[in-house]
Amino acid sequence: MRTTVPVIVAFLSGFVMVVSFFFNPDRTFIGRAQDVVLQWVTIVSGFTLVLGVFSIVRVNGRAVVRRTEDWPFKLATVISVFAMAIPAMLPVSTTSVGGKIFYSILPQSWGSWFGTGTGSIYDWLFNFVDSPMMETMFAMLAFYIASAAYRAFRARSADATLLLLTAVIVMLWRVPMGEAFLRLFGDSIPDYLNTFIMNGFNVAVQRGIIIGAALGAASMSLRVMLGIERTYMGKG
Amino acid sequence: MGESLSFVQHFEIWLRAYLILSLFSFLYRDNVFYKLSEHIFAGLSAGYYVGLIWQTVIIQQLVNPMVDNGHWWLVFPGILGVLMFTRLIPKWSWVSRVSLAFVIGNTAGIYIISSLHGLIFPQVASTILSLDTGNGFAGTLLALLVVVGVISTLIYFYFSKEHTGLLGATARVGIWFIMIAFGAHFGYTVMGRISLLIGRAEFLYYEWGGSLSQIF
Amino acid sequence: MGFWENIQHIDRRWIYLLVAIAVFFPMIVVMHFPIEITPEARQLYEAIDALPNGSVVMLTFDYYPSAMAETQPMSIAALRHMFSKDMKVLTLSNIPLGGPSIAERVTREIALEYDKVYGIDFVNLGYKANYVAVMHGLASSIESIFPSDYSGTPLRDLPMMKHVKNYRDIEFIFVVADNATVDYWISIVNAQYGKPVGSGVTAVVAPKMYSFVDAGQMTGLLGGMKGAAEYERMVDISGSAIRGMDAQSLVHLLVIFFVIVGNLGFFMSRGKDGR
Repeated sequence: MRTTVPVIVAFLSGFVMVVSFFFNPDRTFIGRAQDVVLQWVTIVSGFTLVLGVFSIVRVNGRAVVRRTEDWPFKLATVISVFAMAIPAMLPVSTTSVGGKIFYSILPQSWGSWFGTGTGSIYDWLFNFVDSPMMETMFAMLAFYIASAAYRAFRARSADATLLLLTAVIVMLWRVPMGEAFLRLFGDSIPDYLNTFIMNGFNVAVQRGIIIGAALGAASMSLRVMLGIERTYMGKG
Repeated sequence: MGESLSFVQHFEIWLRAYLILSLFSFLYRDNVFYKLSEHIFAGLSAGYYVGLIWQTVIIQQLVNPMVDNGHWWLVFPGILGVLMFTRLIPKWSWVSRVSLAFVIGNTAGIYIISSLHGLIFPQVASTILSLDTGNGFAGTLLALLVVVGVISTLIYFYFSKEHTGLLGATARVGIWFIMIAFGAHFGYTVMGRISLLIGRAEFLYYEWGGSLSQIF
Repeated sequence: MGFWENIQHIDRRWIYLLVAIAVFFPMIVVMHFPIEITPEARQLYEAIDALPNGSVVMLTFDYYPSAMAETQPMSIAALRHMFSKDMKVLTLSNIPLGGPSIAERVTREIALEYDKVYGIDFVNLGYKANYVAVMHGLASSIESIFPSDYSGTPLRDLPMMKHVKNYRDIEFIFVVADNATVDYWISIVNAQYGKPVGSGVTAVVAPKMYSFVDAGQMTGLLGGMKGAAEYERMVDISGSAIRGMDAQSLVHLLVIFFVIVGNLGFFMSRGKDGR
């Protein structure tokens, strides 16, 4: 029961997608079944994202209650979750069932602050607090990669030298100043680099990786559908 | 100098500048400003998911179609979604497997077709080409390069047999190809990371600088 | 310790400082080196430019805020290109963190410049979970996956959507992405539904995309901020990507300098050790 039902559900859910590929979705039962399954999958998948947030609140909330180390920061995390989520969940429309009750208590003009649209608290917090921080977190990697280039990028062997030289040439080619410099040695050099490095060596390796990974994905998917691969079910 | 900024616009620019600088301060050393910003960032990002899913999935895909259009059958995916939360209760967590299996099985079905039909077949077909490409010697050389590269890369990643003899020699060629391609990838990665830094620097210089020059 | 050993153990913060100087310096002293167009970027531009005026195009905002410096200029240039040709633009995002908000804000901002009206000239579908299912689902009915737009307006109330029911009504898909969604736009939407797909991706994703362009599965490619700058040049706008190219050039040279000095230090100190 605990494993058989999920295995059957997984098989049927995947089987619809495989079989429908061979039929015209507009005119067949299997095509219509595919549409229903896909609609349902997009709905159910939404809940999985929220599940992760529950865990974040639970872990950080516990730390706050138990006054563990750095608990004030964890409190900031919990407050931030609610500050973002609650205004977004409040009704925007005064005509919905929830909206009718909500706006009988609060002024209707407050409606523009709620929901996720432009002008809402959610949108403001995203634009002026969350987004700049996320952009900065990743921008910091520029410093680390420059430091790594200085400290760790060594021509220790022939293979490493090959990697290093290509990296340097590509870095030159992909910026206007470097491209102008390369053209000093021949006007066609940037074109040759695009043709032979990017569309030659790079395409060959990327293609090898794409084919290898796709073979792996297809076989793993088959194992999931047939119930051989069950690790996604966890323990119990 | 651009148009005059309102008080709110100044505030928004300064808030962003503070957050950016508080995170960059970590480059010097770990500190309380960085830690606070980092934790707020984690919380807001998690809250973003909740708000988005509430509005776009629960309200738009479930509640509105059921209430406004009478699509009562959507109660089934709704139940499957709610069952996902049994994962949080150890005794009942196995129930969530049904919902998870529904999503994962579907994705597996999609992957089987998309991997074979959308990736492997077209990628192989565009590798095995006539050497007479119509683009002269360079075209032939490129076509040859791609065939040799794809085969040797695949062999390099084939670990079921020891890399000796012909297999070993081919894998060795594969390494050279991989090194050149990864070098190009590294160059691109450096480029990407620097671009992100430029984005932040442009904000600080043009927008925050603009606000600073208007105030002082 | 000798000179070469010393510079091998330099405090990383000096490196950070040099990088910061190299980023800010070109903002004070503008250089403006010419931006050459790669064949892949030209292919994308020409594919969009060749569409008849009034065509329906899909523009995806499949990127997190972290990649905005690279991808946002692509979206903005694409919107300007599309609106200038009176195309109907359908936007969506497969990213649950930021994508839909970014699409909403940017599209409305650019639409104002071209007097485009929401619901008639452009629509933002927003986000739905599980992008592979979304991509498949849109093939038979957009409305079954997106009953309403991002703001909650039912699709049947939007005039533009009366004529846009599924992929058959869309001429071209321009995917702006910083992650693997682009692979599925190719392997599902292009392969199974025959829609031409072009992409603008971050530099980290770009090398893989060459394989799709080469196989004819992808119609054109913009790679990273340089790709965005190329597109801006072709659309004839002066955007943030073109502006950023001076700093990009200078920091690349600095990183190459670091690689050379780091290796010189490594070999010189190794030579002294007699290793």
